[in-house]
Amino acid sequence: MTELVHAHDEHESTGIENRKLGMWAFLSSEFLFFGALISNYLLYSNRPFADSVVPAEVYDIPFTSVSSFVLLMSSLTMVLAHNALTRHDQNATGTWLMATAMLGALFLGGQVYEFRTFIVHDGLKLTSNPAASAFFFLTGFHGTHVAIGVIMLLSLWGMSRRVGSLSERHGMNLELVGLYWHFVDIIWIVIFTVVYLLSTPV
Amino acid sequence: MTEHSTDHPTPALYVKIAVLLAVLTAIEVALYYVNRAIELGVFNFVLLLALALLKFLIVIGWYMHLRYEKKMLSRFFATGFVIAMFCYGIVLGTFGVLAITRS
Repeated sequence: MTELVHAHDEHESTGIENRKLGMWAFLSSEFLFFGALISNYLLYSNRPFADSVVPAEVYDIPFTSVSSFVLLMSSLTMVLAHNALTRHDQNATGTWLMATAMLGALFLGGQVYEFRTFIVHDGLKLTSNPAASAFFFLTGFHGTHVAIGVIMLLSLWGMSRRVGSLSERHGMNLELVGLYWHFVDIIWIVIFTVVYLLSTPV
Repeated sequence: MTEHSTDHPTPALYVKIAVLLAVLTAIEVALYYVNRAIELGVFNFVLLLALALLKFLIVIGWYMHLRYEKKMLSRFFATGFVIAMFCYGIVLGTFGVLAITRS
């Protein structure tokens, strides 16, 4: 990160800008939040429930793999937006921010499609059984995080349209949103493996 | 900027990392299907978790720039992760959920 981008950063006794430290603390606490939801799912995922389908029986692994790929690539576009900002390339910053937002929206669209398929075609509803509730709760909360990220990205994109605004005053904002976005990605890495790939139909 | 190293990766390296992440994801999916055809048991469980952990570390190390930041941030971040693993590990172990390796 160049001097100009963070020209207005305030450094405290830790040598780390306060907002950045706060974001890392927040992300660290999110492990406990998502850990609880993943554990909740695991507690019920392998139990049989009479006369109702469980999530692992209806997963569409190829479809979810593509969704995972989309989210992974959004991390690439996010870091390229950050890199472009360090080079003071406002156009590239805006382009990569928009690309990241679009990939995030695409992931969300995939999740809506997945939920609709489960509910309408497979009969897996929020109240079908505890495993279904845990699944929708976990992936729904992750999707909510993605949606919040998309809103923040679009806000940054709007700011980037005003020449110089991001590099002068909002450089740290982009870095913080980037940290949040990458965190959402690593949580999905865990969910994809533990919830989708390691779940075994009873 | 004085708080961390300025030797951040280049865009070309970011793209290479993305390709690596995509390949690792493809291996994960391939393992899922191999396990359905040939029973891999605990091997499947360990390998999938190892691949996920590798992807996790790559993203936080290079994309979140944690390997270029002060060590304090790594400790900060790791604290939440370790506490979560410890607490929920106990819960899952207590209820015997670690039997997810069965198939």
